[in-house]
Amino acid sequence: MVTQAAKNEVHLEPGLKRTIRFRIKRCDGPGKPARWENFDVPVVSGEGVNVISCLQWIAEHPKTAEGADTTPVVWDSGCLEEVCGACTMVINGSVRQSCSCQLDNYAPLDGDTITLEPMSKFPVVRDLWVDRSRLFHNLKRLKAWAPIDGLHDLGAGPKEHTDDQHVRYKISECMSCGCCLEACPQFHQEENEENWDSSFIGANTIAQARLFNLHETGKQLAGDRLDTLAAAGGVSDCGNAQNCVKVCPKEIPLTEAIAAIGRATTIHRVRKFFRGK
Amino acid sequence: MPDNPSFLERHHFLLRRLHSLTGIVPIGLFLILHLTTNSSIVWGSFLGDSGVAMFQHEVDFIHSLPALVLIEIFGLWLPIAFHSILGVYYAVSGSTNTKSYRYGGNFRYALQRISGYVGVIFIFYHVATLRWGWSLPGAYLFDAHAASSTTAMALRAGSENPWQLAGILVGLFYLLSVLLLVYHFANGLWTAAITWGLTISEQGQRRWGYVCASLGAALMVMGVTAVVGFVTLDIEEARQIEASLHTAQQPAVETTLAPEDNAH
Ligand code: SF4
Ligand code: SF4
Ligand code: FES
Repeated sequence: MVTQAAKNEVHLEPGLKRTIRFRIKRCDGPGKPARWENFDVPVVSGEGVNVISCLQWIAEHPKTAEGADTTPVVWDSGCLEEVCGACTMVINGSVRQSCSCQLDNYAPLDGDTITLEPMSKFPVVRDLWVDRSRLFHNLKRLKAWAPIDGLHDLGAGPKEHTDDQHVRYKISECMSCGCCLEACPQFHQEENEENWDSSFIGANTIAQARLFNLHETGKQLAGDRLDTLAAAGGVSDCGNAQNCVKVCPKEIPLTEAIAAIGRATTIHRVRKFFRGK
Repeated sequence: MPDNPSFLERHHFLLRRLHSLTGIVPIGLFLILHLTTNSSIVWGSFLGDSGVAMFQHEVDFIHSLPALVLIEIFGLWLPIAFHSILGVYYAVSGSTNTKSYRYGGNFRYALQRISGYVGVIFIFYHVATLRWGWSLPGAYLFDAHAASSTTAMALRAGSENPWQLAGILVGLFYLLSVLLLVYHFANGLWTAAITWGLTISEQGQRRWGYVCASLGAALMVMGVTAVVGFVTLDIEEARQIEASLHTAQQPAVETTLAPEDNAH
């Protein structure tokens, strides 16, 4: 995270050796019990070591700090540059991307401990790898797309307003990582998929509603989206703790989106009350 | 959505918005009036003859309102019950995580729920003992004709001596609850503006935050003034003032009071 790194910028001489202790919460698969294992990873400063590269080292040396043989720790990742969101996990108790967690800043001292846990709001597939399908389910629940399907030529799209483009651009950077959901006191793991549609939808999806409702073509589904967000599990389940906006690595103005959608649902519902539809 | 959604799910939006609205009107509005009236036990001596007389005057006015019981039931007790029951139901659906995420907003969120729980217990105790005359521990019945002295007695758990354990506990319970309830109102007023979509930009939310914080601070000062004012009241003197007021105003009070209120 750029901001975090800038805040606690530490200047280590390059080439210094140190050992970092990893405490990792492990789990062999869905429904299996969790356990903790320790790993001591040798690190050299100035080489851009991050949490993922340490996990790669552990995969090559699957031995715990106590010397016992174990299986390699499993994790998920993609881009390795904080744009895909796949590597999101809970590091020292708070959620962030592991690929951009640079150790020279985050754990500059010999013997520093880093605790890794999978996100707690999504089902664990194995070790640090979780299944985030509910995020994509929620985007479908919201209809987070511009409706342009069909075989016929739709012609040129309507003109977009520049101010709206600026608002939308920031929101469009969302990578569905799930940080905002992990940190949200109102969003819970929901094992029963049947309840997904009535459980709190989360800040990221509410922000997507703002994005698509401001889009000239996406707007066509605005009413549907506001209906979804006015129903159980919608925007009014937000408790305004505002953790989401604090943890979002893309610094998306989530709380502004929540308020904007709050206003839109208010107006939508009042209008519907009088118009009857 | 499940096939047969519950009542709460079908009316989700309306109930959530009513929950937000009742917190402001009538409950928040009542809180402002209530604390203004009660703190008159102190500021009354600056504006009038004495705090006791001012407070008695205000209580007499309230008790002169027509159909007071109906106003109480529909304007206060039902909205408070609605806001409390739904509020607790909503609050237990959240899971506080202030240990991991130590942000100011997260503590605000947690305290909003804690203050709600304490508030429900306090308001129940407060109304049950002072208004309905239930004999809970430390209870003392309020008498509208001797408003100041009986309120002061109630805040001392029914003893004239303010410095004994039960009295101090009741006094502290009042003090803490009043502060928490004011916080609950001020923070609720702030988040309501987000819920309804009045404040959208971060800057707008911050500005409205200053307004709510100032209102909260002012109400806290009034709340502390009221509790301290009653706890330290000279009860003997208060009774004398009330007796003199009573003889002087007897006819006026007699004609305007609803019959059931004369029963005290
Ligand atoms: S809004 Fe931010 S924290 Fe939430 S999923 Fe998108 S990028 Fe991640
Ligand atoms: S503001 Fe709402 S969505 Fe964001 S963390 Fe708080 S409760 Fe969750
Ligand atoms: S691997 Fe893509 S964000 Fe970390």
